[in-house]
Amino acid sequence: MIRPVWIIAKNTYREIIRDRVLYGIVVFALLLIGMSVALGELSFTEQARISANFGFTGIQLSACILAVFAGSSLVSKEIEKQTILTLLARPITRAQFLVGKFTGLSLVILTIMAGLAAVLAVLVAALDLPINGAFAVALYGIVLEALILLGLALLFGSFARPMMTVTFTAALFLIGHWVGTLRFFTEKSESGVFKVIASFLTRVVPDLERFNWRTAPVYQIPVPAHEVLATTVYAAGWIVCLVAATVLVFRKRDFV
Amino acid sequence: MSGPVLSVRGLRKTYRRGLKRVEAVKGISFDIQPGTVTGFLGANGAGKTTTIKCLLNLAFPDAGEIRYFGRPELTSEAKQKIGFLPERPYFYEYLTGAEFLRFYGELSTGLKKRVLDERIEKLLKRVGLGHAKDRQLRGYSKGMLQRVGIAQTLIHEPEFIILDEPKTGLDPDGRYEVAEIIRETAKSGTAVFFSSHLLPDAELLCDRLVILKLGDLIYEGTTEKFLDRAESGVSIVVRRPGDEPEVRTAPDHAAAQAVIDEARKSGREIVEVRTQRLSLEEAFVRVAFDKKEGGAP
Repeated sequence: MIRPVWIIAKNTYREIIRDRVLYGIVVFALLLIGMSVALGELSFTEQARISANFGFTGIQLSACILAVFAGSSLVSKEIEKQTILTLLARPITRAQFLVGKFTGLSLVILTIMAGLAAVLAVLVAALDLPINGAFAVALYGIVLEALILLGLALLFGSFARPMMTVTFTAALFLIGHWVGTLRFFTEKSESGVFKVIASFLTRVVPDLERFNWRTAPVYQIPVPAHEVLATTVYAAGWIVCLVAATVLVFRKRDFV
Repeated sequence: MSGPVLSVRGLRKTYRRGLKRVEAVKGISFDIQPGTVTGFLGANGAGKTTTIKCLLNLAFPDAGEIRYFGRPELTSEAKQKIGFLPERPYFYEYLTGAEFLRFYGELSTGLKKRVLDERIEKLLKRVGLGHAKDRQLRGYSKGMLQRVGIAQTLIHEPEFIILDEPKTGLDPDGRYEVAEIIRETAKSGTAVFFSSHLLPDAELLCDRLVILKLGDLIYEGTTEKFLDRAESGVSIVVRRPGDEPEVRTAPDHAAAQAVIDEARKSGREIVEVRTQRLSLEEAFVRVAFDKKEGGAP
Protein backbone atom coordinates (compact mmCIF):
# COMPACT_ATOMS: atom_id res chain seq x y z
CA MET A 1 0.00 0.00 0.00
CA ILE A 2 2.69 2.50 1.08
CA ARG A 3 5.49 1.25 -1.20
CA PRO A 4 4.04 2.44 -4.54
CA VAL A 5 3.22 5.82 -2.93
CA TRP A 6 6.81 6.16 -1.78
CA ILE A 7 8.19 5.17 -5.22
CA ILE A 8 5.98 7.76 -6.96
CA ALA A 9 6.90 10.35 -4.29
CA LYS A 10 10.64 9.71 -4.81
CA ASN A 11 10.28 10.11 -8.56
CA THR A 12 8.22 13.30 -8.21
CA TYR A 13 10.84 14.69 -5.81
CA ARG A 14 13.60 13.88 -8.29
CA GLU A 15 11.60 15.41 -11.16
CA ILE A 16 11.08 18.75 -9.42
CA ILE A 17 14.55 18.93 -7.87
CA ARG A 18 16.04 18.45 -11.37
CA ASP A 19 13.78 21.16 -12.85
CA ARG A 20 15.51 24.50 -13.44
CA VAL A 21 12.29 26.40 -12.69
CA LEU A 22 12.71 25.43 -9.04
CA TYR A 23 16.00 27.27 -8.86
CA GLY A 24 14.30 30.42 -10.17
CA ILE A 25 11.99 30.25 -7.16
CA VAL A 26 14.94 29.68 -4.81
CA VAL A 27 16.79 32.68 -6.25
CA PHE A 28 13.59 34.75 -5.88
CA ALA A 29 13.36 33.72 -2.22
CA LEU A 30 17.02 34.48 -1.56
CA LEU A 31 16.58 37.91 -3.15
CA LEU A 32 13.58 38.60 -0.91
CA ILE A 33 15.53 37.54 2.18
CA GLY A 34 18.46 39.67 1.01
CA MET A 35 16.13 42.60 0.43
CA SER A 36 14.84 42.23 3.96
CA VAL A 37 18.27 43.39 5.21
CA ALA A 38 18.12 46.47 3.00
CA LEU A 39 14.55 47.24 4.10
CA GLY A 40 15.54 46.89 7.73
CA GLU A 41 18.10 49.62 7.19
CA LEU A 42 15.22 52.05 6.58
CA SER A 43 14.31 51.92 10.26
CA PHE A 44 16.62 53.09 13.01
CA THR A 45 15.01 51.15 15.89
CA GLU A 46 13.11 48.29 14.25
CA GLN A 47 15.77 47.01 11.84
CA ALA A 48 15.85 43.45 13.18
CA ARG A 49 12.06 43.11 13.31
CA ILE A 50 11.49 44.51 9.82
CA SER A 51 14.20 42.27 8.36
CA ALA A 52 12.91 39.15 10.10
CA ASN A 53 9.30 39.89 9.16
CA PHE A 54 10.20 40.45 5.53
CA GLY A 55 12.39 37.34 5.55
CA PHE A 56 9.50 35.16 6.77
CA THR A 57 7.22 36.72 4.16
CA GLY A 58 9.81 35.89 1.50
CA ILE A 59 9.85 32.25 2.59
CA GLN A 60 6.04 32.14 2.75
CA LEU A 61 5.69 33.57 -0.77
CA SER A 62 8.30 31.18 -2.19
CA ALA A 63 6.71 28.12 -0.57
CA CYS A 64 3.24 29.16 -1.78
CA ILE A 65 4.46 29.94 -5.31
CA LEU A 66 6.18 26.55 -5.42
CA ALA A 67 3.05 24.77 -4.16
CA VAL A 68 0.74 26.56 -6.61
CA PHE A 69 2.89 26.47 -9.74
CA ALA A 70 4.48 23.04 -9.37
CA GLY A 71 1.21 21.65 -7.94
CA SER A 72 -0.82 22.95 -10.88
CA SER A 73 1.14 20.87 -13.39
CA LEU A 74 1.78 17.90 -11.11
CA VAL A 75 -0.96 15.74 -12.65
CA SER A 76 -1.68 17.60 -15.89
CA LYS A 77 1.93 17.14 -17.09
CA GLU A 78 1.63 13.38 -16.59
CA ILE A 79 -1.60 13.37 -18.60
CA GLU A 80 -0.35 15.71 -21.32
CA LYS A 81 2.88 13.75 -21.82
CA GLN A 82 0.98 10.46 -21.42
CA THR A 83 3.45 9.19 -18.83
CA ILE A 84 0.41 8.46 -16.69
CA LEU A 85 -0.54 5.64 -19.09
CA THR A 86 2.54 3.57 -18.31
CA LEU A 87 2.25 4.39 -14.61
CA LEU A 88 -1.38 3.38 -14.14
CA ALA A 89 -0.81 0.21 -16.14
CA ARG A 90 1.51 -0.82 -13.28
CA PRO A 91 0.26 -2.33 -10.02
CA ILE A 92 -0.70 1.01 -8.47
CA THR A 93 -4.09 2.58 -7.88
CA ARG A 94 -5.06 6.07 -8.95
CA ALA A 95 -5.28 7.09 -5.28
CA GLN A 96 -1.72 5.85 -4.65
CA PHE A 97 -0.54 7.79 -7.69
CA LEU A 98 -2.14 11.03 -6.42
CA VAL A 99 -0.94 10.62 -2.84
CA GLY A 100 2.56 9.84 -4.17
CA LYS A 101 2.58 12.99 -6.31
CA PHE A 102 1.36 15.05 -3.33
CA THR A 103 3.97 13.54 -1.02
CA GLY A 104 6.79 14.10 -3.52
CA LEU A 105 6.05 17.80 -3.94
CA SER A 106 5.52 18.18 -0.18
CA LEU A 107 9.03 16.81 0.35
CA VAL A 108 10.40 19.34 -2.16
CA ILE A 109 8.63 22.15 -0.29
CA LEU A 110 10.10 20.90 2.99
CA THR A 111 13.60 20.68 1.48
CA ILE A 112 13.46 24.20 0.02
CA MET A 113 11.96 25.56 3.22
CA ALA A 114 14.71 23.94 5.29
CA GLY A 115 17.38 25.58 3.12
CA LEU A 116 15.72 28.99 3.20
CA ALA A 117 15.06 28.70 6.94
CA ALA A 118 18.78 28.07 7.49
CA VAL A 119 19.61 31.25 5.54
CA LEU A 120 17.00 33.21 7.51
CA ALA A 121 18.29 31.77 10.78
CA VAL A 122 21.78 33.10 10.01
CA LEU A 123 20.27 36.50 9.22
CA VAL A 124 18.10 36.53 12.34
CA ALA A 125 21.06 35.52 14.52
CA ALA A 126 23.16 38.29 12.95
CA LEU A 127 20.41 40.76 13.90
CA ASP A 128 20.51 39.55 17.55
CA LEU A 129 17.02 38.07 17.48
CA PRO A 130 16.70 34.73 19.31
CA ILE A 131 16.12 31.55 17.33
CA ASN A 132 13.64 29.65 19.47
CA GLY A 133 10.36 27.76 19.37
CA ALA A 134 8.50 30.75 17.93
CA PHE A 135 10.89 30.78 14.97
CA ALA A 136 10.14 27.09 14.29
CA VAL A 137 6.38 27.58 14.78
CA ALA A 138 6.36 30.45 12.26
CA LEU A 139 8.03 28.20 9.68
CA TYR A 140 5.67 25.34 10.57
CA GLY A 141 2.68 27.59 9.84
CA ILE A 142 4.13 28.39 6.42
CA VAL A 143 4.55 24.66 5.68
CA LEU A 144 0.90 23.93 6.63
CA GLU A 145 -0.35 26.79 4.45
CA ALA A 146 1.77 25.62 1.50
CA LEU A 147 0.45 22.06 1.87
CA ILE A 148 -3.17 23.26 1.80
CA LEU A 149 -2.43 25.29 -1.33
CA LEU A 150 -0.79 22.21 -2.82
CA GLY A 151 -3.95 20.21 -2.04
CA LEU A 152 -6.06 22.87 -3.79
CA ALA A 153 -3.72 22.91 -6.81
CA LEU A 154 -3.82 19.11 -6.97
CA LEU A 155 -7.64 19.12 -6.91
CA PHE A 156 -8.03 21.81 -9.58
CA GLY A 157 -5.19 20.30 -11.61
CA SER A 158 -7.05 16.99 -11.82
CA PHE A 159 -9.71 18.53 -14.10
CA ALA A 160 -8.52 22.00 -15.22
CA ARG A 161 -5.66 23.26 -17.34
CA PRO A 162 -2.56 24.52 -15.48
CA MET A 163 -3.31 28.23 -16.07
CA MET A 164 -6.85 27.82 -14.76
CA THR A 165 -5.50 25.82 -11.82
CA VAL A 166 -3.04 28.59 -10.95
CA THR A 167 -5.82 31.19 -11.23
CA PHE A 168 -8.27 29.22 -9.04
CA THR A 169 -5.63 28.43 -6.42
CA ALA A 170 -4.25 31.98 -6.33
CA ALA A 171 -7.80 33.30 -5.93
CA LEU A 172 -8.40 30.95 -3.01
CA PHE A 173 -5.05 31.99 -1.52
CA LEU A 174 -6.22 35.62 -1.49
CA ILE A 175 -9.73 34.80 -0.23
CA GLY A 176 -8.21 32.43 2.33
CA HIS A 177 -6.26 35.29 3.87
CA TRP A 178 -9.42 37.42 4.05
CA VAL A 179 -11.69 34.82 5.60
CA GLY A 180 -11.42 36.44 9.05
CA THR A 181 -12.23 39.87 7.64
CA LEU A 182 -15.03 38.39 5.55
CA ARG A 183 -16.49 36.72 8.65
CA PHE A 184 -16.39 40.07 10.49
CA PHE A 185 -18.21 41.86 7.67
CA THR A 186 -20.73 39.04 7.38
CA GLU A 187 -21.70 39.61 11.00
CA LYS A 188 -21.95 43.38 10.52
CA SER A 189 -23.58 43.44 7.07
CA GLU A 190 -27.29 44.05 6.66
CA SER A 191 -27.37 42.79 3.05
CA GLY A 192 -28.95 39.35 2.86
CA VAL A 193 -27.24 38.43 -0.43
CA PHE A 194 -23.81 39.44 0.89
CA LYS A 195 -24.42 37.44 4.07
CA VAL A 196 -25.29 34.30 2.07
CA ILE A 197 -22.32 34.57 -0.30
CA ALA A 198 -19.81 35.59 2.36
CA SER A 199 -20.87 32.95 4.87
CA PHE A 200 -20.70 30.32 2.09
CA LEU A 201 -17.15 31.43 1.24
CA THR A 202 -16.02 31.42 4.85
CA ARG A 203 -17.17 27.80 5.10
CA VAL A 204 -15.73 26.43 1.84
CA VAL A 205 -12.44 28.33 1.78
CA PRO A 206 -9.65 27.46 4.23
CA ASP A 207 -8.80 30.24 6.66
CA LEU A 208 -5.13 30.72 5.77
CA GLU A 209 -4.58 33.49 8.33
CA ARG A 210 -4.77 30.81 11.02
CA PHE A 211 -1.28 29.73 9.91
CA ASN A 212 0.20 33.20 10.18
CA TRP A 213 2.53 32.94 13.16
CA ARG A 214 5.19 35.05 11.50
CA THR A 215 4.93 37.89 13.99
CA ALA A 216 5.55 35.52 16.91
CA PRO A 217 9.37 35.30 16.50
CA VAL A 218 9.58 38.96 15.49
CA TYR A 219 7.81 40.25 18.61
CA GLN A 220 8.71 37.25 20.79
CA ILE A 221 5.09 36.30 21.41
CA PRO A 222 4.81 32.64 22.40
CA VAL A 223 2.26 30.56 20.46
CA PRO A 224 0.27 28.27 22.79
CA ALA A 225 0.75 24.55 22.09
CA HIS A 226 -3.03 23.94 21.95
CA GLU A 227 -3.30 26.54 19.19
CA VAL A 228 -0.55 24.83 17.18
CA LEU A 229 -2.26 21.46 17.72
CA ALA A 230 -5.73 22.74 16.75
CA THR A 231 -4.32 24.42 13.64
CA THR A 232 -2.48 21.23 12.71
CA VAL A 233 -5.73 19.25 12.95
CA TYR A 234 -7.48 21.96 10.91
CA ALA A 235 -4.79 21.76 8.19
CA ALA A 236 -4.76 17.95 8.21
CA GLY A 237 -8.55 17.94 7.81
CA TRP A 238 -8.34 20.24 4.79
CA ILE A 239 -5.49 18.26 3.21
CA VAL A 240 -7.29 14.92 3.66
CA CYS A 241 -10.52 16.38 2.22
CA LEU A 242 -8.74 17.94 -0.76
CA VAL A 243 -6.75 14.80 -1.62
CA ALA A 244 -9.89 12.64 -1.15
CA ALA A 245 -11.87 14.97 -3.45
CA THR A 246 -9.07 14.74 -6.04
CA VAL A 247 -9.18 10.95 -5.84
CA LEU A 248 -12.96 11.04 -6.38
CA VAL A 249 -12.61 13.30 -9.43
CA PHE A 250 -9.78 11.19 -10.79
CA ARG A 251 -11.23 7.76 -10.02
CA LYS A 252 -13.30 7.27 -13.16
CA ARG A 253 -11.52 9.63 -15.50
CA ASP A 254 -10.83 8.35 -19.03
CA PHE A 255 -7.39 9.12 -20.42
CA VAL A 256 -8.21 9.62 -24.08
CA MET B 1 -1.69 -21.67 -17.70
CA SER B 2 -3.90 -23.09 -20.44
CA GLY B 3 -6.71 -20.53 -20.88
CA PRO B 4 -6.39 -17.20 -22.66
CA VAL B 5 -4.33 -14.47 -21.00
CA LEU B 6 -6.98 -12.01 -22.11
CA SER B 7 -10.57 -12.55 -23.02
CA VAL B 8 -12.74 -9.70 -24.27
CA ARG B 9 -16.50 -10.05 -24.73
CA GLY B 10 -18.83 -7.39 -26.12
CA LEU B 11 -16.53 -4.46 -25.40
CA ARG B 12 -18.21 -1.18 -26.16
CA LYS B 13 -16.95 2.37 -25.64
CA THR B 14 -18.52 5.69 -26.54
CA TYR B 15 -16.90 9.09 -26.22
CA ARG B 16 -18.45 12.50 -26.08
CA ARG B 17 -16.82 14.84 -28.59
CA GLY B 18 -18.43 18.21 -27.99
CA LEU B 19 -22.15 17.56 -28.23
CA LYS B 20 -21.67 14.49 -30.40
CA ARG B 21 -21.32 10.96 -29.09
CA VAL B 22 -18.77 8.87 -30.94
CA GLU B 23 -18.98 5.10 -30.70
CA ALA B 24 -15.30 4.21 -30.83
CA VAL B 25 -15.63 0.47 -30.08
CA LYS B 26 -18.83 -1.38 -31.02
CA GLY B 27 -19.12 -4.54 -28.97
CA ILE B 28 -16.00 -6.45 -29.96
CA SER B 29 -14.91 -9.87 -28.66
CA PHE B 30 -11.57 -11.64 -28.96
CA ASP B 31 -9.07 -13.76 -27.01
CA ILE B 32 -5.29 -13.66 -26.65
CA GLN B 33 -3.65 -17.03 -26.09
CA PRO B 34 -0.44 -17.52 -24.10
CA GLY B 35 2.82 -17.46 -26.07
CA THR B 36 1.28 -16.05 -29.25
CA VAL B 37 1.98 -12.86 -31.16
CA THR B 38 -1.31 -11.21 -32.04
CA GLY B 39 -1.45 -8.24 -34.36
CA PHE B 40 -4.15 -5.69 -33.66
CA LEU B 41 -4.80 -4.08 -37.01
CA GLY B 42 -6.99 -1.33 -38.31
CA ALA B 43 -6.79 2.04 -39.97
CA ASN B 44 -6.36 5.22 -37.92
CA GLY B 45 -9.54 5.80 -35.95
CA ALA B 46 -10.55 2.13 -36.04
CA GLY B 47 -10.62 2.00 -32.23
CA LYS B 48 -7.35 0.18 -31.52
CA THR B 49 -5.94 2.61 -28.95
CA THR B 50 -9.34 3.02 -27.28
CA THR B 51 -9.62 -0.76 -26.94
CA ILE B 52 -6.12 -0.98 -25.45
CA LYS B 53 -6.93 1.79 -22.96
CA CYS B 54 -10.09 -0.07 -21.96
CA LEU B 55 -8.06 -3.25 -21.46
CA LEU B 56 -5.81 -1.44 -18.98
CA ASN B 57 -8.52 0.57 -17.16
CA LEU B 58 -7.11 3.78 -18.60
CA ALA B 59 -10.57 4.33 -20.07
CA PHE B 60 -13.71 2.70 -18.75
CA PRO B 61 -15.89 0.72 -21.17
CA ASP B 62 -19.64 1.32 -21.39
CA ALA B 63 -20.33 -2.40 -21.70
CA GLY B 64 -18.61 -5.73 -22.05
CA GLU B 65 -16.49 -8.08 -20.03
CA ILE B 66 -12.70 -8.28 -19.89
CA ARG B 67 -11.05 -11.25 -18.17
CA TYR B 68 -7.34 -11.22 -17.39
CA PHE B 69 -5.74 -14.62 -16.82
CA GLY B 70 -9.20 -16.03 -16.29
CA ARG B 71 -10.21 -13.47 -13.67
CA PRO B 72 -12.78 -10.74 -14.15
CA GLU B 73 -10.81 -7.80 -12.71
CA LEU B 74 -7.57 -6.03 -13.48
CA THR B 75 -6.12 -6.53 -10.01
CA SER B 76 -2.61 -5.60 -8.89
CA GLU B 77 -1.67 -9.29 -9.30
CA ALA B 78 -2.87 -9.22 -12.92
CA LYS B 79 -1.04 -5.93 -13.57
CA GLN B 80 2.18 -7.53 -12.32
CA LYS B 81 1.90 -9.95 -15.23
CA ILE B 82 1.25 -7.28 -17.86
CA GLY B 83 3.65 -4.92 -19.63
CA PHE B 84 2.46 -1.95 -21.65
CA LEU B 85 4.02 0.45 -24.13
CA PRO B 86 1.70 3.29 -25.21
CA GLU B 87 1.62 4.91 -28.61
CA ARG B 88 4.14 7.77 -29.03
CA PRO B 89 5.53 7.31 -25.54
CA TYR B 90 7.02 10.28 -23.73
CA PHE B 91 9.05 9.26 -20.77
CA TYR B 92 10.54 11.12 -17.84
CA GLU B 93 13.31 12.85 -19.72
CA TYR B 94 15.15 13.87 -16.53
CA LEU B 95 15.82 10.19 -15.72
CA THR B 96 18.74 8.20 -17.08
CA GLY B 97 17.99 4.94 -18.89
CA ALA B 98 18.93 2.90 -15.81
CA GLU B 99 16.95 5.15 -13.41
CA PHE B 100 13.94 4.90 -15.70
CA LEU B 101 13.97 1.10 -15.68
CA ARG B 102 14.60 1.03 -11.93
CA PHE B 103 11.55 3.24 -11.36
CA TYR B 104 9.26 0.92 -13.33
CA GLY B 105 10.96 -2.15 -11.93
CA GLU B 106 10.41 -0.98 -8.35
CA LEU B 107 6.76 -0.23 -9.13
CA SER B 108 6.14 -3.69 -10.52
CA THR B 109 8.35 -6.02 -8.54
CA GLY B 110 9.50 -6.48 -4.98
CA LEU B 111 12.96 -7.43 -6.18
CA LYS B 112 16.03 -6.61 -4.15
CA LYS B 113 18.11 -3.73 -5.49
CA ARG B 114 20.99 -5.99 -6.56
CA VAL B 115 18.74 -8.37 -8.49
CA LEU B 116 16.89 -5.48 -10.12
CA ASP B 117 20.18 -3.79 -11.08
CA GLU B 118 21.34 -7.01 -12.74
CA ARG B 119 18.07 -7.28 -14.63
CA ILE B 120 18.32 -3.63 -15.76
CA GLU B 121 21.86 -4.18 -16.98
CA LYS B 122 20.82 -7.29 -18.92
CA LEU B 123 17.74 -5.72 -20.41
CA LEU B 124 19.49 -2.54 -21.53
CA LYS B 125 22.08 -4.70 -23.31
CA ARG B 126 19.29 -6.76 -24.90
CA VAL B 127 17.67 -3.65 -26.40
CA GLY B 128 21.07 -2.29 -27.45
CA LEU B 129 21.24 0.54 -24.93
CA GLY B 130 23.96 -0.71 -22.61
CA HIS B 131 26.17 2.21 -23.65
CA ALA B 132 23.49 4.81 -22.84
CA LYS B 133 22.34 3.61 -19.42
CA ASP B 134 23.67 6.68 -17.58
CA ARG B 135 22.47 9.17 -20.18
CA GLN B 136 19.30 11.17 -19.45
CA LEU B 137 16.38 10.23 -21.70
CA ARG B 138 16.28 13.79 -23.07
CA GLY B 139 19.47 12.83 -24.95
CA TYR B 140 17.94 9.68 -26.51
CA SER B 141 16.90 9.47 -30.16
CA LYS B 142 13.36 8.40 -31.10
CA GLY B 143 14.48 4.84 -31.75
CA MET B 144 16.35 4.67 -28.45
CA LEU B 145 13.27 5.93 -26.61
CA GLN B 146 11.15 3.26 -28.25
CA ARG B 147 13.67 0.58 -27.26
CA VAL B 148 13.93 1.77 -23.66
CA GLY B 149 10.12 1.88 -23.69
CA ILE B 150 10.00 -1.76 -24.70
CA ALA B 151 12.57 -2.52 -21.99
CA GLN B 152 10.22 -0.97 -19.40
CA THR B 153 7.45 -3.31 -20.56
CA LEU B 154 9.74 -6.28 -19.96
CA ILE B 155 11.46 -5.24 -16.71
CA HIS B 156 9.12 -7.33 -14.53
CA GLU B 157 9.20 -10.35 -16.88
CA PRO B 158 5.48 -10.19 -17.71
CA GLU B 159 3.38 -13.01 -19.13
CA PHE B 160 1.56 -10.67 -21.47
CA ILE B 161 2.69 -7.45 -23.16
CA ILE B 162 0.60 -4.87 -24.99
CA LEU B 163 2.41 -2.62 -27.43
CA ASP B 164 0.52 0.23 -29.06
CA GLU B 165 2.09 1.05 -32.45
CA PRO B 166 5.60 0.06 -31.29
CA LYS B 167 7.20 0.68 -34.68
CA THR B 168 5.65 4.00 -35.60
CA GLY B 169 8.19 6.66 -36.44
CA LEU B 170 11.13 4.27 -36.53
CA ASP B 171 13.55 3.89 -39.40
CA PRO B 172 13.97 0.43 -41.02
CA ASP B 173 16.82 -0.49 -38.65
CA GLY B 174 14.73 0.49 -35.65
CA ARG B 175 11.74 -1.47 -36.97
CA TYR B 176 13.89 -4.52 -37.47
CA GLU B 177 15.29 -4.28 -33.94
CA VAL B 178 11.81 -3.92 -32.43
CA ALA B 179 10.61 -6.90 -34.48
CA GLU B 180 13.52 -8.95 -33.18
CA ILE B 181 12.68 -8.04 -29.58
CA ILE B 182 9.02 -8.98 -30.12
CA ARG B 183 10.07 -12.30 -31.67
CA GLU B 184 12.47 -13.12 -28.81
CA THR B 185 9.91 -12.11 -26.21
CA ALA B 186 7.28 -14.38 -27.74
CA LYS B 187 9.83 -17.20 -27.93
CA SER B 188 10.29 -16.96 -24.17
CA GLY B 189 6.56 -17.70 -23.73
CA THR B 190 5.19 -14.19 -23.29
CA ALA B 191 1.99 -13.38 -25.16
CA VAL B 192 2.42 -10.29 -27.32
CA PHE B 193 -0.49 -8.13 -28.45
CA PHE B 194 0.59 -5.25 -30.63
CA SER B 195 -1.33 -2.72 -32.62
CA SER B 196 0.08 -1.59 -35.91
CA HIS B 197 -0.79 -0.19 -39.26
CA LEU B 198 2.53 -1.41 -40.70
CA LEU B 199 1.11 -4.52 -42.26
CA PRO B 200 4.25 -6.09 -43.77
CA ASP B 201 5.75 -6.20 -40.26
CA ALA B 202 2.59 -7.72 -38.83
CA GLU B 203 2.59 -10.36 -41.57
CA LEU B 204 6.08 -11.48 -40.60
CA LEU B 205 5.51 -11.46 -36.84
CA CYS B 206 1.94 -12.42 -36.07
CA ASP B 207 0.45 -15.85 -35.44
CA ARG B 208 -2.98 -14.32 -35.07
CA LEU B 209 -4.76 -11.16 -36.12
CA VAL B 210 -7.52 -9.07 -34.63
CA ILE B 211 -8.76 -6.55 -37.19
CA LEU B 212 -10.99 -3.58 -36.51
CA LYS B 213 -12.82 -1.31 -38.88
CA LEU B 214 -14.53 1.80 -37.51
CA GLY B 215 -14.96 0.16 -34.12
CA ASP B 216 -16.27 -3.17 -35.46
CA LEU B 217 -14.35 -6.43 -35.37
CA ILE B 218 -13.96 -7.64 -38.94
CA TYR B 219 -11.60 -10.54 -38.34
CA GLU B 220 -10.20 -12.60 -35.50
CA GLY B 221 -8.16 -15.69 -36.25
CA THR B 222 -4.85 -16.92 -37.58
CA THR B 223 -2.81 -14.87 -40.02
CA GLU B 224 -2.68 -17.91 -42.33
CA LYS B 225 -6.44 -18.26 -42.48
CA PHE B 226 -6.86 -14.56 -43.12
CA LEU B 227 -4.48 -14.70 -46.06
CA ASP B 228 -6.23 -17.83 -47.38
CA ARG B 229 -9.54 -15.98 -47.27
CA ALA B 230 -8.05 -13.30 -49.41
CA GLU B 231 -6.69 -15.53 -52.18
CA SER B 232 -6.83 -13.55 -55.38
CA GLY B 233 -7.21 -16.54 -57.74
CA VAL B 234 -5.23 -19.20 -59.52
CA SER B 235 -2.71 -18.72 -62.33
CA ILE B 236 -2.17 -21.59 -64.79
CA VAL B 237 0.80 -21.70 -67.14
CA VAL B 238 0.10 -23.87 -70.22
CA ARG B 239 2.16 -24.60 -73.35
CA ARG B 240 1.49 -26.13 -76.73
CA PRO B 241 4.51 -28.32 -77.65
CA GLY B 242 7.11 -26.12 -79.39
CA ASP B 243 5.34 -22.83 -78.48
CA GLU B 244 6.00 -20.17 -75.79
CA PRO B 245 4.18 -20.73 -72.49
CA GLU B 246 0.86 -18.88 -71.97
CA VAL B 247 -0.47 -17.68 -68.60
CA ARG B 248 -4.17 -18.12 -67.87
CA THR B 249 -5.96 -17.04 -64.73
CA ALA B 250 -9.04 -18.30 -62.94
CA PRO B 251 -10.91 -16.64 -60.03
CA ASP B 252 -11.08 -19.84 -57.93
CA HIS B 253 -10.09 -23.50 -57.86
CA ALA B 254 -13.23 -24.76 -59.65
CA ALA B 255 -12.70 -22.35 -62.51
CA ALA B 256 -9.02 -23.30 -62.58
CA GLN B 257 -9.97 -26.98 -63.00
CA ALA B 258 -12.11 -26.03 -65.98
CA VAL B 259 -9.19 -24.10 -67.53
CA ILE B 260 -6.88 -27.11 -66.98
CA ASP B 261 -9.41 -29.56 -68.53
CA GLU B 262 -9.89 -27.29 -71.52
CA ALA B 263 -6.10 -26.93 -72.01
CA ARG B 264 -5.59 -30.70 -71.90
CA LYS B 265 -8.37 -31.28 -74.40
CA SER B 266 -6.70 -28.84 -76.77
CA GLY B 267 -3.38 -30.69 -76.48
CA ARG B 268 -1.60 -28.17 -74.27
CA GLU B 269 0.56 -29.30 -71.41
CA ILE B 270 0.21 -27.82 -67.93
CA VAL B 271 3.49 -26.21 -66.87
CA GLU B 272 2.49 -24.64 -63.54
CA VAL B 273 -0.58 -24.11 -61.41
CA ARG B 274 -0.17 -21.53 -58.64
CA THR B 275 -2.55 -20.07 -56.14
CA GLN B 276 -2.03 -16.32 -56.18
CA ARG B 277 -1.77 -15.04 -52.61
CA LEU B 278 -2.07 -11.47 -51.55
CA SER B 279 0.23 -9.83 -49.09
CA LEU B 280 -1.34 -8.98 -45.75
CA GLU B 281 -1.49 -5.38 -46.88
CA GLU B 282 -3.44 -6.27 -50.03
CA ALA B 283 -5.64 -8.68 -48.12
CA PHE B 284 -6.30 -6.11 -45.44
CA VAL B 285 -7.25 -3.46 -47.97
CA ARG B 286 -9.54 -5.93 -49.73
CA VAL B 287 -11.30 -6.96 -46.51
CA ALA B 288 -11.40 -3.48 -45.05
CA PHE B 289 -13.05 -2.00 -48.11
CA ASP B 290 -15.28 -4.94 -49.02
CA LYS B 291 -18.53 -4.57 -47.14
CA LYS B 292 -19.63 -8.05 -48.14
CA GLU B 293 -16.76 -9.50 -46.10
CA GLY B 294 -17.58 -7.40 -43.01
CA GLY B 295 -18.31 -9.16 -39.73
CA ALA B 296 -16.28 -11.59 -37.76
CA PRO B 297 -16.01 -15.04 -39.34
